[in-house]
Amino acid sequence: MKLSKQTRREGRQLFRCCLAGETLDENRARQAVAAVIERKPRGYFAILSYFQRLVRLEVARRSARIESATPLSAQLQEQIQSDLTRRYGPGLSFAFTQNAALIGGVRIQVGGDVYNGSVQGRLAALQESF
Amino acid sequence: MSTLLQEIEAQISGLKTGVTRQNIGTVREIGDGVAKIEGLSDAMLNEMLDFGNGVVGLALNLEETEVGAIILGDYTGIKEGQEVRTTGKLLQVPVGKALLGRVVNALGQPLDGKGPINSQTFYPVEKIAPGIIRRKSVSQPVQTGIMAVDAMIPIGRGQRELIIGDRSTGKTTIGIDTIISQARLNRAAEAAKDTSYKPLYCIYVAIGQKQSNVARVMAVLEEAGAMPYTIIVSASASDSATNQYLAPFGGCAMGEWFMDNAMDALIIYDDLSKHAVAYRQVSLVLKRPSGREAYPGDVFYLHSRLLERSARVGEKYGNGSLTGLPIIETQAGDVSAYIPTNVISITDGQIYLETDLFYQGIRPAISVGLSVSRVGSAAQIKAMKQVAGRVKLDLAQYRELAAFAQFGSDLDAKTQGQLERGKRIVEVFKQPQYNPMPVEVQVAALWTVQNGLMDDVAVDKIKDFQGRLSEYLSSRKTALMDKIRAEKALSDALIAELKAAVTEFKQTYR
Repeated sequence: MKLSKQTRREGRQLFRCCLAGETLDENRARQAVAAVIERKPRGYFAILSYFQRLVRLEVARRSARIESATPLSAQLQEQIQSDLTRRYGPGLSFAFTQNAALIGGVRIQVGGDVYNGSVQGRLAALQESF
Repeated sequence: MSTLLQEIEAQISGLKTGVTRQNIGTVREIGDGVAKIEGLSDAMLNEMLDFGNGVVGLALNLEETEVGAIILGDYTGIKEGQEVRTTGKLLQVPVGKALLGRVVNALGQPLDGKGPINSQTFYPVEKIAPGIIRRKSVSQPVQTGIMAVDAMIPIGRGQRELIIGDRSTGKTTIGIDTIISQARLNRAAEAAKDTSYKPLYCIYVAIGQKQSNVARVMAVLEEAGAMPYTIIVSASASDSATNQYLAPFGGCAMGEWFMDNAMDALIIYDDLSKHAVAYRQVSLVLKRPSGREAYPGDVFYLHSRLLERSARVGEKYGNGSLTGLPIIETQAGDVSAYIPTNVISITDGQIYLETDLFYQGIRPAISVGLSVSRVGSAAQIKAMKQVAGRVKLDLAQYRELAAFAQFGSDLDAKTQGQLERGKRIVEVFKQPQYNPMPVEVQVAALWTVQNGLMDDVAVDKIKDFQGRLSEYLSSRKTALMDKIRAEKALSDALIAELKAAVTEFKQTYR
């Protein structure tokens, strides 16, 4: 769908209204969507599409995905969470998953940042250096 | 086998074992060689992006939620949702003397099948031009070997001189002649072990040209023995707009290496009209706002930042130089179009070639009235200044009188004399392509015509007379020619000697 400048501007304004400080307030976002659907302003479908995209990007930016070859202990999980919160601020959502392909070590992705301390990552780096 | 093991061990030990941090994004949209990527929050402008499988992109648009990147190379294998990584590196090309004699693409990769280029040094394609402190005014000549240029529109090392004209008026030929002339001078200085002469290395950048044209240029340069001093950067018409947009910047980086290392280089951009068109295409697919003739707003900055990188730097900074000869193709002689006026205003002068003159047989078809060199006269050698000082004025007067004389046949003796002299000067300036002339021969020919020693030669015999005179002076009066070349000025003694030589030649000329 081709979005006009005005649509993007209004979608962005709607998104900013839903921010509490630097993080997205989920309740405000739900209320905003409901209000737009109820009032049906001009081009509301396009505005909501763009708003959804901004929310999706924000959610991805504030999501931390921690992959490990073996399950991590509760203590280690807590330490990783506190370290990431210190680095990226509060409001991160954490997801711990297991991935045997990593062979060993941990791979953490927060938004677009990837910290790769896995054996698989090291082997890939070795392959590139050859 | 033991060496292999040691090498592998060294590679493994050199490998970082710590945690690596990378910034990644995903392709949201791909088409026309342009990708829109979500994520990549750390991407820098003009940073190289790794698409995997050896495909590289260049971040050109940093937007609120995405990055617009142009793909360098084959983009057909890139899929939506594919992972992209930042590299932390700006786009760079190999530089150095290893590139001399080679034909490379916009990224400095070889196209001539002569194997890899052994260069350890790389320069970023986008670089800030030398500042005012580093610069020095132009004072050394670039001997193009084209008499009309060297006499009337002299070019200095570090100057930007535009070559402008319609299609098929000899724009590229002027560039090629200049390269051949430099190769001859470089070789002569090498043979004479003349350390005072600084060789001038040449870079020919073909942008949007037909591959057959590039092959022809290469063949001409090879035949003239100019390739050992020349780099050809080719982004032909079949290359992507991205490569055509990057080619002059890559070529300029190669030239800057010579300048930074106390050497002189000359770069020919053939041509910037096609470069502007390629940049317009890239900008439109990146959805940048378009302006006049659909060119983006920064098309002036595109050319000004490129041409500003041509400079002459001071002794403290190595005394190197990069001379720029951009070429612009006009449509039906319209110099007031958007891109021509932009480049005219950026450069230090222009050589304007006219279709009418070309078809009248005046080749090179330089329009003396519209061509100008704003800084080059400071670089002209004194001997040339002595003989060519009045030529431009004489020619302008001749053109005016010739137009006036068409209306009547009764002319006074002075006007008749001016017309006859003008006709001979025009003839003297005619020169076949790929045949640059040494400066001392130019000086001798101009001195002869200016001092009336060709007045008794019929106009249609002038070229024959000039050719034989040049041959006579080069073979029989080498000492005189050497003196003119060495002294770079015509002293009274030299003038007397030259007069005696020409008079002697005239006695034998039939």
